Amino acid sequence: MKVLKHITLFLIILASSMAFAQVKFEAKVSKQKLGINERLRIDFIMNKDGDNFNPPDFANFTVVGGPNTSVSNSWLNGQHSYTKTYSYFIAPTKKGRLTINQASIEIEGQIYKTQVVNVDITNAVKRPNDPDNVEGVASESIHLVAEVSKTDPYLNEAITVVYKLYVSATTGVSNWREIDNPRYNDFWSQKIDTKGLKIENGKYKGEDYRYVVLRKTILYPQKSGKLEIEPLTLDITVEVPTNRRNIFGGRHMAEVNRTVSAGSRIINVKPLPEEGKPADFTGAVGDFKFNVITSKSELNASESLQARVEVTGQGNLNLFQLPKLTVPSSLEVYEPEHNENIRANLGGMQGSISDNYTIVPQYKGKYPIPSISFSYFDLETETYKRISSGEIVIDVIEGPINTSSGDDNLATTDTNKKEVTLNNDQFAFVKTEAKLKPIASENFFKSVGFWSSLLLPLLAIPLAMVYRKKTEERNADVFGNRIRKADKLARRYLSEAKKALGHKEAFYVALEKAFHNYLKAKLHIETTDFSKEKIEDTLLKREVNEATVTEFISILEHCELARYTPITNVEMQQDYDKAASTISIIDKEIR
Amino acid sequence: MMRLVYIFVFLMSTLSFAQNETLFERANDLYNAGNYTEALDKYTSILDSGEHSAALYFNMANAHYKLNHIAPSIYYYEKALLLKPNDKDIKNNIAFARNMTIDDIDTLPEVGFSRLIKNATNVLSFDNWAKLSVGLVAGFVLLFLVYYFSRRTAKKRFAFITSVSCLVLAFIAVAFAFHKYELVDRDQPAIVFAQEAQIKSEPNLRSSESFKLHEGTKVQVLDTVKNWKRIKLSDGKTGWVLNDDIRMLKAF
Repeated sequence: MKVLKHITLFLIILASSMAFAQVKFEAKVSKQKLGINERLRIDFIMNKDGDNFNPPDFANFTVVGGPNTSVSNSWLNGQHSYTKTYSYFIAPTKKGRLTINQASIEIEGQIYKTQVVNVDITNAVKRPNDPDNVEGVASESIHLVAEVSKTDPYLNEAITVVYKLYVSATTGVSNWREIDNPRYNDFWSQKIDTKGLKIENGKYKGEDYRYVVLRKTILYPQKSGKLEIEPLTLDITVEVPTNRRNIFGGRHMAEVNRTVSAGSRIINVKPLPEEGKPADFTGAVGDFKFNVITSKSELNASESLQARVEVTGQGNLNLFQLPKLTVPSSLEVYEPEHNENIRANLGGMQGSISDNYTIVPQYKGKYPIPSISFSYFDLETETYKRISSGEIVIDVIEGPINTSSGDDNLATTDTNKKEVTLNNDQFAFVKTEAKLKPIASENFFKSVGFWSSLLLPLLAIPLAMVYRKKTEERNADVFGNRIRKADKLARRYLSEAKKALGHKEAFYVALEKAFHNYLKAKLHIETTDFSKEKIEDTLLKREVNEATVTEFISILEHCELARYTPITNVEMQQDYDKAASTISIIDKEIR
Repeated sequence: MMRLVYIFVFLMSTLSFAQNETLFERANDLYNAGNYTEALDKYTSILDSGEHSAALYFNMANAHYKLNHIAPSIYYYEKALLLKPNDKDIKNNIAFARNMTIDDIDTLPEVGFSRLIKNATNVLSFDNWAKLSVGLVAGFVLLFLVYYFSRRTAKKRFAFITSVSCLVLAFIAVAFAFHKYELVDRDQPAIVFAQEAQIKSEPNLRSSESFKLHEGTKVQVLDTVKNWKRIKLSDGKTGWVLNDDIRMLKAF
């Protein structure tokens, strides 16, 4: 039963294929297996003419050429055969087993479809297609090369990129245009103009080629590390000789458009060494000379002079800053004028950059412009170098003198300095008188001497008060005063006698002499008329008490007597006391 | 024996002083001949022997000026001015020297009562204020005694009034002496010697730079921390600078 079912099915299929055998519509590929860089031709063939041909979508392929239609009619042995072909050239876009979908056509009102075709796409093959393929020849004989002068430059070291287009002897180039221009990120770039294209002969991979230099560029890496130079991509129309010949026997040249790219290059940029990097380094790399030049060194005030700060040499001239000129604040300086004179060639940039300062001195004097220095990295020795300009002195011969005293009022003690009037406007000569004194000097203020001389006089006031009090007390005490007075008189006249106490002779001589002296002083009696009567008379005349006078006379007489009589020390003392009291009484009573 | 030694020392010292005078004259001759460096050597040797004067500092500053040494010339002019604050020659030449400096610093003017006080204080040095106060006290005591002992009313009245005013003036003079002493003590000027000195915001190398000063600028020293000095400019800016970059003016 089952077998029977199979047989009937087979018969039905057979019959149907017999019925369709008259119309054929099928897809044929040139290869079942090809490399990704190869191309594939697919033909859709039919043996009856149809309408509404509908090609497949060619997913994962790009249509390179087509559709090309060809029709052939042939009569062979009375039999007519007809074929119509739609052919496409397609290129795969990815690897693996790819499927080309069905194509459809309408023949005599009936829609026919091709089978699904599977193609294996392998890795790129070395030689795509055959040598006769125009495209292949074109890609073989045209090369764009980027030549980089140095792949491990320092930061800011100039490198050059030269793009050369190699063309083999058999092919020609009729036209080219740039599709993709490299932008050189992280580089400072300068294009060197090439005038016209000069064809030169050279070798590429050991074979003879002609080449043209398309473009030269100087690059200054601005970043260290691995930097990529983007590729240059050109669209070139190539003339390739084919096997076909024209009627003169010359080869027919096929024109093919090719896209060539120089390929990206990696540049490994070395950073500048940190060791020994000067503080004033601003990024100059190359070989430089540095100068500071003033147009005049002597001038009058309010005339102007030019100071030029200039760097000449080879290197990244416009990629660093010139050191700034610092001048004394009393000079008037205007904003510098920047000049650049730079030529670019394959070795890098050459020329000079300079800042021109206009300086106008206002006052007379000497103005030293401090030395300024310029540092750069020397590529030959791979070390930092520093050039100093040296100090320049501007001498202003004539002009007013600067009287504004800039920063001097800082000192808290010198506030009266502002009223400086200068005696003349000349620089004063040295002083000829030394007037030297020891450096180590002592201050009077706060010294012991100061305090004592300040405060000691004040002590005089209480002392004076005490003194005055004492004198007043004394004046008030009458009895005491008398005694004191007697003592005083006695001290004055009887001092000799007091010294001689105990020696009889000497004592009485001194006592008598003391009386005489007293009388001489008080009564102005001459020694010649020194008689007792005269003394008595005079004393009485001067209103001295009679008793006192008698007493006085008696002492005098006793003095004369005592010289010849034995007298004891006690008596001598008594006589002395008596004399003292008598003198003081006389002194009080005398008028 | 001791006395002999004293005499000898005295003679020696006068000898060296006399030597300094001749050195000074020879240095002046060298200066006049244009040998500024040699003249400076001689002036310095005088200074080393322990003697100084405004004239000496002035001459040293002149020699430095002729040699275009910015900071030393200003330094010595300022020193000369410390000893003789009102010398016209010094003021004249320091104006020349200041022309060479790079920094231009504004001065904050002082106004009002404090300026009045300051001006009055700066009339005399503190030593002279001290001497004046001593004199005034002595005058007060004398006049007071006259008042105390005299008997006539008119004389007494006059003596009392003058003595009391003397006392008041003496107090004022002492106050001025103290004020002046404090001013002098607080006034610690210095000159920037480094060609370009970085003024930091803190006394260490890590801190950020506040501003830059150049050779010859005068600053006030406010404070010292290790080898850093806190300085103040005449326009009121402050910052820290390394000891080596400046030189104190009062370090005699």
